[in-house]
Amino acid sequence: MIVLEGVSKRYENQDALKDVSLRIEKGEMAFVTGPSGAGKTTLFKLLYLAEAPDEGLISIAGFNTASLDDSTIPMLRRNIGVVFQDFKLLNNNTVFDNIALALRIRRVMEREIKEKVTAVLKLVGLRHKADAYPLTLSGGEQQRITIARAIVGEPTVMLADEPTGNLDIENEEGIMKIFKLINNKGTTILIASHNRRLFDNTGRRVFYLDGGQLVKAEVR
Amino acid sequence: MFSLRMALNSIFREIWLNVISMLSIGAVLFILFSVVIAVYNVEKLTATLPEKLSVMVFLREDTRRDEARALESAIKSENIVKSVNFISKEKALQDMKGFFKNEKFALSGLGENPLFDTIDVRLKGAGSSAKGVNAFIEKLKGMSAVDDVEYGGALVESVYSLKNGLRVFGLTTGSIFALSVIFICYSTVRVLFYRHEEEIEIYKLLGATKGFIRSPFFIEGSIIGIMGGAIGMCFFLAISRYVFGKLFTEFPLFSMIYVPDRSFYILPVMGFVLGLGGAVIALGRLKY
Repeated sequence: MIVLEGVSKRYENQDALKDVSLRIEKGEMAFVTGPSGAGKTTLFKLLYLAEAPDEGLISIAGFNTASLDDSTIPMLRRNIGVVFQDFKLLNNNTVFDNIALALRIRRVMEREIKEKVTAVLKLVGLRHKADAYPLTLSGGEQQRITIARAIVGEPTVMLADEPTGNLDIENEEGIMKIFKLINNKGTTILIASHNRRLFDNTGRRVFYLDGGQLVKAEVR
Repeated sequence: MFSLRMALNSIFREIWLNVISMLSIGAVLFILFSVVIAVYNVEKLTATLPEKLSVMVFLREDTRRDEARALESAIKSENIVKSVNFISKEKALQDMKGFFKNEKFALSGLGENPLFDTIDVRLKGAGSSAKGVNAFIEKLKGMSAVDDVEYGGALVESVYSLKNGLRVFGLTTGSIFALSVIFICYSTVRVLFYRHEEEIEIYKLLGATKGFIRSPFFIEGSIIGIMGGAIGMCFFLAISRYVFGKLFTEFPLFSMIYVPDRSFYILPVMGFVLGLGGAVIALGRLKY
């Protein structure tokens, strides 16, 4: 479902990723970890096509990213739900509209949007916050909205970059529960985090990046 | 529907920027429309000018009547000619006597008929150019039976050069003003686009197509253009109602100004087209 073969990316003569190859199976939930600057965020940017690799092949959700152009990139992105470290919410829009945006982009009918958004808000435990604005919410709540927006379009792959970065343990556990729930429904999930609590003793595969290179892959 | 809502939200969020753009477009379109009306009025007034002036062809004294008739037919067959009327020197004298019947002393010293046979030529208004009229006059002068030709050529020439000058002026200023409207919409949409850059980035990451991202800006450019056109229309209506009204009574010449019925409805349409054009140019190529 997610395949990287010999992927490299350089920024101004510095290797951000160097010859990285990995494979994540359909329906799997896996983790990418490593110290700051290891290449986790670069890897994610390549996966959701914010950047293009200098070398190597990337295949995700059935798309070979090298063969995509401006007209097909949106199609791929609709198949990937992304949870951003910095949330990337529209602060002028309500919680409902932030989540609904992912469906409006897909030209879903308003009635269906209402049903689906209400359902995901219930899933992330924020049904009562539908009319609130993001800046009035806590970090944990904003992160859950980001997750709700990522899953409302029922993507086949979900990418989460440091989803619990600034959260306390209670919020962290809540968010991991949501990920497990989504994964149980068949969504492939790749989470980037340097927080060991998220993947220790989970029985999930963990990929270790260091200096842009994949140094280890093991089941924890 | 969502794009329209986004466009309206954006317009209200940046209300002052948009109001200033609309007022600027309104003022420019008002001036543009005034220029168009001025050119239109001059065109209309001068269209029938050659028709109103007659060409008087004086025949040589020794011209026989059958030659005069032949010349009359030849002139009539010219494309530029609307009608011809042969006036014999006897008829001309009779008309003159009728004209001076109460002042018979004015003609008392007149011996033999001193007048000439003449042909009164009326020209077609539409399609006549100063160049065409001049060429026709020269052709007449070159005819053997013709002694002289009288025509208000200088007047027609100066009116035609005024008309041509106004056309060039209208076209130049019209193009400049149209480009100004496009530029105002371009700048407004560009500024709005930059202000929404972060939002647009999020739309792209969520899988929005170029059409989805662009459509609110196209709608916004169109709305700004339409509103600008409507403001220009209001300016024009107000001016034509209050200012022209006063001018008509003070200066009767101004009452000749003719504004085609409901023609000012074109302003919002022009605003729409130019506003949309400005938005299209402003967004250019959108990259992922």
